[in-house]
Amino acid sequence: MNTPTLASANMPFFQKMIFGDHGASEAAAWSDGLFMMITWFSAFFFVLLMGLMVAFVIIYRRRPGVPAKPSPSHNLNIEILWTVIPSASMLVMFVLGVRGYAMKMVAPDAAMELKVDAWKWAWKVTYPNGASSPETNFLSFESNMAQLEAGSTDPWMETKGLEYPVFYVPEDTAVSLRMNSQDVIHSFWIPEFRTKMDVIPNRYTGYAFHTPKLRDSDSVLDTSSMMQIPGRDMWIFCAEYCGDEHSRMAATLRVVPQETYDAKIKEWGQDKDPVVLGESLYKTMCKICHSVDGTPGTGPTWSSGNGFGFGYEAALANGQSVMRDDNYYRESILDPNAKVVSGFVPSMPAFQGQLSEDEIHGLIMYIQSLSDRNPNASESGEDNQQADDSAGSEG
Amino acid sequence: MSSTDHAHHEGESYFDGPPGVLSKVWQWMSTVDHKKIGVMYLVAVLFMFFLGGVSALAVRYELLDPVRTVETMNEAGEMIQYTTGERLAGLTNIMGAKNANEVYNRIFTLHGAIMVFMFIIPSIPASLGNFFLPIMLGAKDVAFPRLNLLSWYIYVIGCLFGVFSILLGGVDTGWTFYTPYSTTTDADHWRVVLMILAAFILGFSSILTGMNFVVTVHKLRAPGMGWFDMPLFIWGVYATAIIQVLATPVVGITLLLLVFERVMHIGIFDPSMGGDPVLYQHFFWFYSHPVVYVMILPGMGIVSELLAVHSRKHIFGYRAIAFSSLGIAAVSFLVWGHHIFTAMGELAAVLFSGLTFLVAIPTAIKVFNWIATLYKGSIAINTPMLYGLIFLFTFSIGGLTGLPLATLATDLHLHDTYYVVAHFHYTMMGGTVMAFMGGLHHWWPKMFGKMYSEKGAMTGTVLVFIGFNLTFFTQFFLGTQGMPRRYANYVDEFQTLHMISTYGSWILLLGFLVHLGTFIVSLIAGDKAPPNPWGGLTLEWETESPPIEHNFHHEPIVTHGPYDFDKVVPPHWDPKDYPLPENPSSH
Repeated sequence: MNTPTLASANMPFFQKMIFGDHGASEAAAWSDGLFMMITWFSAFFFVLLMGLMVAFVIIYRRRPGVPAKPSPSHNLNIEILWTVIPSASMLVMFVLGVRGYAMKMVAPDAAMELKVDAWKWAWKVTYPNGASSPETNFLSFESNMAQLEAGSTDPWMETKGLEYPVFYVPEDTAVSLRMNSQDVIHSFWIPEFRTKMDVIPNRYTGYAFHTPKLRDSDSVLDTSSMMQIPGRDMWIFCAEYCGDEHSRMAATLRVVPQETYDAKIKEWGQDKDPVVLGESLYKTMCKICHSVDGTPGTGPTWSSGNGFGFGYEAALANGQSVMRDDNYYRESILDPNAKVVSGFVPSMPAFQGQLSEDEIHGLIMYIQSLSDRNPNASESGEDNQQADDSAGSEG
Repeated sequence: MSSTDHAHHEGESYFDGPPGVLSKVWQWMSTVDHKKIGVMYLVAVLFMFFLGGVSALAVRYELLDPVRTVETMNEAGEMIQYTTGERLAGLTNIMGAKNANEVYNRIFTLHGAIMVFMFIIPSIPASLGNFFLPIMLGAKDVAFPRLNLLSWYIYVIGCLFGVFSILLGGVDTGWTFYTPYSTTTDADHWRVVLMILAAFILGFSSILTGMNFVVTVHKLRAPGMGWFDMPLFIWGVYATAIIQVLATPVVGITLLLLVFERVMHIGIFDPSMGGDPVLYQHFFWFYSHPVVYVMILPGMGIVSELLAVHSRKHIFGYRAIAFSSLGIAAVSFLVWGHHIFTAMGELAAVLFSGLTFLVAIPTAIKVFNWIATLYKGSIAINTPMLYGLIFLFTFSIGGLTGLPLATLATDLHLHDTYYVVAHFHYTMMGGTVMAFMGGLHHWWPKMFGKMYSEKGAMTGTVLVFIGFNLTFFTQFFLGTQGMPRRYANYVDEFQTLHMISTYGSWILLLGFLVHLGTFIVSLIAGDKAPPNPWGGLTLEWETESPPIEHNFHHEPIVTHGPYDFDKVVPPHWDPKDYPLPENPSSH
């Protein structure tokens, strides 16, 4: 079996046109090779058949007074030939396909297992030490930086990228995924590993991949230190239709050196300021539906003003109203359809059993910090600042 | 032409009715004549094709550019934020949607549901099949004419349910109604239930038409017509009818369970009540995969007619084509699992992959036979033939690009991407729709008694061909490079390919508009069609254009095969204008 070369320079032209870049693992490179083999096989027969068709149409075009020439209307030998050739070719494709499938599905014994959770509309990855990644990345971030560096300030324009979570994996490591959905069916697709599998609510599914060794040119911007570090980013897309924000249910898989990975997950595994924890949970899990600046979304905004926010009465869809307090938020996270705010439809998945007590606490502390009725405002200067800002915008 | 002058003496054409608009309308709405019902189906399915086409154009329009939020400073020095690329956002309020993404989701669902359930499944069998199956068999009508009219009314009622659901705002489930999304979305609205019921009702129309055709083929063949004297179009429609009768009840039950699940929460598919959402996918594709062949088999039948008649050649490998239709129909029931490789166990995936390759073999054989038919022919380049050749081109691409989808290793990458979208548009649109257009041009003079402008029709055909390939060939590359399907938005690097695809869809639109114009001009001012403009040997070319009410003056007796072009001068042709070869071949 060939080891894939990961330098794009020596990639065949058509393969580059079709896939854009090499698959990032041996299994991916192998299935690309199989795809190219089938494509060349198909191209050969397509050109042969169309060539014959066009040649016949030209040679035997209708001429007045000239009848069609007699020719047999069947020929057993040729019919057997063109049954056997496709059958044999397809048998080869089938066998190679099964072999490549096994390479993608079967995890080596020593594989590191990541737990993947999905819901409308976010991904969460839990690392073996129980930590989950709080970092996020902006789509179009680099082009934005380039624009700033180029000094195009007239008019000063910034493409606000969409924010996606970043999941870290160490380089040159076997990784297996154990996946589960909390609501509808999703599909976890990493195009560079050429593999996807549905994420289903009532069972675990999964697959495996071997992360590549980093190339010298691989470098990414680490948003926590704002420095370029060795690493390689890959898209993760949801491939099974799941509703309004299906096309934004993306994430980044970041392959980094083992030391970077170890340092990152060690840091996330430690205790944190609950507001910071809440904010990072918000960015990676809640942001796609809930805004913190009053913008309407799929769910109610968390900032105060216009009757929203912590400490304000919520008008419910059933005509009642309820105070947005700690218990209201706790219930709304764990059992979201118990109280649905007027003007919204029940579409949030239940997080009962999905979040730790600390995480629920962190989220509530973060939600409180966004309100001008934040009960903890006097204890934290930063929160005060936010409260003042919100109050100011109201006045 | 000898028949044109006695048309008024010996029998009236099927659409000569009583004077007066109301009585004409009543005559059509209460008719049991398979030809009128075929025309009524044609009008209805073309209208649905128009609706589905408009929603396809809307989908392509939204995807012209990615959605981006831009923050900028206005002239007064204030930061402002705006969104670019949400091209369908203007419909948000009209459709009562939450946001522009939901508008997009509803529109691609409409496109799929309309095109599959209301256009492509009934398209060829119910319109051209209804009109020509009895005539080609030499019969006066189908076996159960009243049932035939009932099928049309059921079809219209089903369509009305669908249209009503659209008018209430539409649904965002995708045409496949996958659970648990379909059982939970828009939980407080009836729109989804209405759309599911529409598909359920349309299924009955399909079953009744299929049953009618099976009985007609078995019982009403003209004297002298054995099974292997039937035109291949009949074989295609017959295989289709068998699938319709056997598979449609399964989806009927499935859709009914889906309605129960939504309305009564009985927990068959809902995991929170112990159900299995993947079970729904198995039920659904157990019907919907065979239905893929309901869509393509009649098209294959048409192509067999087009290539043989317009090249004046006996079809190559008649029995191979006929049996491969039945073979495809049989194997089609065993391959549903290839739609859900990413949601099933390893053993099942391997078995379904193997079975899927099995269905590719008869399809390949058909293509070889069609091309061999052209060998040593007398090939006319006119619109029906051009569509036949286009079918061979696009359908071959559609078939060959299916191979990496049947191959497990590559399918894990390509499943649910634009590669799949491109693949099935090459088979459904490049296959069925191209064959339908070819058949429509082939039989138009017979159906309406008018010729069309060959120049206009050719122009439309070339535009459709270019537009189709621009729209869909690009999508193969989108898929392999990582663009998932059913996305309202995408990352920047896909924009160029999406733009080409959208421009292609506009050329496609132009092509169909040219066809529409050509047909309208033909109906108003077309030359009178002779009974047998192309020199066909099947029975429909023996009667007048348009046919008389009971199809034939006398019950026809079949004395030659449908493709004996080298032995028989076609009906209504002067032997001087139709030279026969000196030494006809033996079949």
